[in-house]
Amino acid sequence: MHSTLVRAQTAFGFFTTVAFCVAALIALSGFVSPQTPSADIKLRNVQVVRGRPNYYSTKKEEYAHIKFDLDTDLSTLFTWNTKQVFLYITATYPSLKPSEPPSSAIIWDAILASPSAPWHQNQYEAPGTPDTRKSDPEAQKAIAAPGILHLQNQRPKYQITDYTGKVANRSDVVLELGWNVQPWVGALTWRGWSDWGVWKGLKGGRTERFGFPGVKERVKVQKEDLGTAKGGEGNRGKPA
Amino acid sequence: MADAFLESARDVLEGQIDFEGQRLAELLSTAMLATAGFLSFVVGYMTQNIQLTLWIGLIGAALTLLAVVPPWPSFNKNPIDWLPPQQGVSQLNIEVDGKKVR
Amino acid sequence: MLNLSSLQPRQLAAQILNFALVLSTAFMLWKGLSVATDSPSPIVVVLSGSMEPAFQRGDLLFLWNRGQDTQVGEVVVYNVRGKDIPIVHRVVRRFGGGTGPLRLLTKGDNNAADDTELYARGQSFLNRQEDVIGSVVGYIPFVGYVTILLSEYPWLKTVMLGLMGLTVVLQRE
Repeated sequence: MHSTLVRAQTAFGFFTTVAFCVAALIALSGFVSPQTPSADIKLRNVQVVRGRPNYYSTKKEEYAHIKFDLDTDLSTLFTWNTKQVFLYITATYPSLKPSEPPSSAIIWDAILASPSAPWHQNQYEAPGTPDTRKSDPEAQKAIAAPGILHLQNQRPKYQITDYTGKVANRSDVVLELGWNVQPWVGALTWRGWSDWGVWKGLKGGRTERFGFPGVKERVKVQKEDLGTAKGGEGNRGKPA
Repeated sequence: MADAFLESARDVLEGQIDFEGQRLAELLSTAMLATAGFLSFVVGYMTQNIQLTLWIGLIGAALTLLAVVPPWPSFNKNPIDWLPPQQGVSQLNIEVDGKKVR
Repeated sequence: MLNLSSLQPRQLAAQILNFALVLSTAFMLWKGLSVATDSPSPIVVVLSGSMEPAFQRGDLLFLWNRGQDTQVGEVVVYNVRGKDIPIVHRVVRRFGGGTGPLRLLTKGDNNAADDTELYARGQSFLNRQEDVIGSVVGYIPFVGYVTILLSEYPWLKTVMLGLMGLTVVLQRE
């Protein structure tokens, strides 16, 4: 500690140690905060059509278009260390080969921002949320209690297909709610079905088993029936 | 000229403090950083506001650096009383390899 | 002043040994973590904004590569065949598995389309075992940003070297 340089080095070194310890405490504090997530998800409509993966492709595939209702309360997932919750709904269906585990695909997702997170265009805004989030007290209240969603007849974000390109007439399909809690610092966590410490498993969050119908001719399907919802990331062009 | 400039630059960078000052600086940096860390966690957890944690931590660190790094006069209050230079030693004749050494 | 000739050989050797010790300790920690996580690169720095707002450029991610049964919704790091750039994206579909290879389709949270276009020519899915180097389990924000700065502004390296030299010149023994 005799010279300026040594004092600066020592103080900065101890600062990094303290910062690391505080970060570790913050990361651990999430595990003692109780979680009681619940969800009710219902199939609304499912259609299968033939299409191409993109406009310049010659490959023909079958796509399933699934609409659903969702009522969920995930507010306990939002602690002081939560940056966002990536919410998603998967369709899980048995594979054609009996040796393979079921396949699954995301049909809809939403980034639920925590109140501590700065605004980002990809964050999900529940239907009816006014654009003027800052000035509107009602909208601010919706942000202050995040994780509560009531969606009616929600369009999917993604039409899904299989590795084989065939999804028509599959049976035993299940829609499931999943999430990924993204912390400010620490471990990422995912949806659990069973209790883990003070974290309760997800109550509900799964539909009855249903089947994909046969392929519907494109001409017979009204165009708006197959519309998909667009997330904020849709405005951002090319993948990177 | 360049040497004199280098010397003065070294003096500024060196910022020597006395032994008592070093003990005080060590204690200050440890105590202040630990307090800032503890406070930032407790206040952040109580208010469930992680931004508060970040800011308390950063401000605490900045204050600590400010308090500890510069050679403040209070770190130099106990200068060491060195013995005065003695002339007597040079009177002795010490010879090494036939040469006089002081 | 830095004067190598004035250093005793023993001191010089001690300096070199000390430096070698620091390097080898870092290397051992890295390789040890690599063995524990079964991943060739257990810690990665986020290089692109394609997972925003979950991950920003410069965030540090910890990977885990044991238990290859990756589920939809997990975030994986993969290398495109023929290229050596690790990409961090979320799994949106999974097929196969069991006795055969598990196939994954990924998408960046910030990308409009899935990654089919990013994969190697003729590849429409990732092979879990061959392409993926780990699944993200831990997160520390921002601390990796210095590596991005150094690779993007090479003159910063010169500045750092200059500062180091200056402290050596300005330090008295």
